[in-house]
Amino acid sequence: MSDLTPLKNTLTSLGFTLEAEQPHLLGERHLTRPLGGGHKWLLLGRNVQGQRVVIKASNEPMGVAEIVRERECRRVLHVIYFAYGVFLSPKEILFTTKDGYTVLVTEFVEAKPFLERPLEEQFTLALKAFKAQESAHATTSSHVRLIRGTFDELHATDYLKKINTYAHEVVPHATFKDASDFLSQHQEVIEQYCNFLTHWDLTPQNMRVVGDSIYLLDHSSLHFGNKYEGWARFINFMTLYNPLLAHALVQYVRDNRTPEESLALKCMRLYRLGELVRYYVGWLEHTEGNLRKLAQIRIIFWDTVLQAVLHDAEVPGETIEHYKKTRDTLRSEEEKKRQVNLH
Amino acid sequence: MRLLLATPLYPPDIAEPAPYTKELARRLAPFHEVTVLTYGHLPEKVEGVRIVAIDKRAPLVLRLVRYTKALMREWHKADVLYTQNGPSVELPIALARVWVRKPLFIRLGDTAAHQYASRHLLRSMLETLALRSAQSVDAPYLQKPEILPFTPRPNSELATWEHSWQKHLEQLQKKFDHV
Repeated sequence: MSDLTPLKNTLTSLGFTLEAEQPHLLGERHLTRPLGGGHKWLLLGRNVQGQRVVIKASNEPMGVAEIVRERECRRVLHVIYFAYGVFLSPKEILFTTKDGYTVLVTEFVEAKPFLERPLEEQFTLALKAFKAQESAHATTSSHVRLIRGTFDELHATDYLKKINTYAHEVVPHATFKDASDFLSQHQEVIEQYCNFLTHWDLTPQNMRVVGDSIYLLDHSSLHFGNKYEGWARFINFMTLYNPLLAHALVQYVRDNRTPEESLALKCMRLYRLGELVRYYVGWLEHTEGNLRKLAQIRIIFWDTVLQAVLHDAEVPGETIEHYKKTRDTLRSEEEKKRQVNLH
Repeated sequence: MRLLLATPLYPPDIAEPAPYTKELARRLAPFHEVTVLTYGHLPEKVEGVRIVAIDKRAPLVLRLVRYTKALMREWHKADVLYTQNGPSVELPIALARVWVRKPLFIRLGDTAAHQYASRHLLRSMLETLALRSAQSVDAPYLQKPEILPFTPRPNSELATWEHSWQKHLEQLQKKFDHV
């Protein structure tokens, strides 16, 4: 799927042109697809009126399935009658199949990058996004019937099974058996806060903020699981990009929610960090040169964060800065370009 | 006094009357024998409070039957039943009331459910049936002010919230003392 020309022709016949700059084709993007996930193009283009659009397309069965699933998730998200919050998603412009490609076109939501906003605003926006997700709590059999078949459901046993597999797979690159044991000890707390809508990849690049409204992107990453899974992903991410925000969010949970909820957040942070370490261990097989070195330093860094979370410690600022410096020297120019304004 | 608190929602549910019921149980527990009857799978624990939870994942009819049975059993043991509104509690109360003749207090804390009932005949009948001979408790619930980073601790709002709870508890105690 490296040749874009046939798809480009199909898109032209549908009335869309591609922008010259395609950030999602650059740098490490080709490595970021989930293991076992389908391959799909993620492109930026314009329609005949010149309106900026996001195009997702694939001609591979798994990629097509992902696009169809994402569309279905978005549809069901808007009919979840038991949710108290409001979910905004970019407007769909076209969904069709042509020349063997399944194509989904949505509006591009222009927004100021999240990390360029003041810290307090970042906090308020993140909290608003989390609360909107938490408002969808599938508790009864009829709720479950509505979401089943569209959204995945994860329970404490699923999280435990996965973290145990990850712990086993990453040896000898890292060890987080203690983390996996910690999750086992708190299985009931994890289950207690399950059945909530949560975004597996809730990072600034999957959020667009327009005024007071938050648009969630990548609906295929939404599922029902522990309500702190999305928080955990976001806080872990901010440990690197904005430690003050990460700290503020953890403190918010401590100050305003039950001790069990803080524990659930810790469990989910450990789980997601384990997943991240395992993800970069997966890179080692497919990469060489600087990319392989990048994977190695990432494994070390995220394992350090995992150990800090496990022991309720802060990651030293020097460790973060040293990691960033090393990472930036190893990143390709293309990847550096892709990263500009990504978050 | 043995108090039974019946509610359709309880934490980790987040919508009203879940946080109200948990906070009330916590505050009543040092002075009374408190039991909470709710729907849920793994309800949040409160020290000194017994929680009876009917699993919501069972089909509707089955969970209503289970709740009704549990309500009859617990209400027999209690001196007072204090309930929150909502059809999933109102129907069991309407049924249990045929056999149990003990004081009943109700708070219409779930305003959305109450408004819905006012627009739908069947739900309205159900609410009326459950409310008959029940004493209503007027308690505008103040949500606990959040402690937010980057802003001063909301001491004055927290004090107002605490004061409103003290007033509410006094009001409840007076009502319960008269049974």
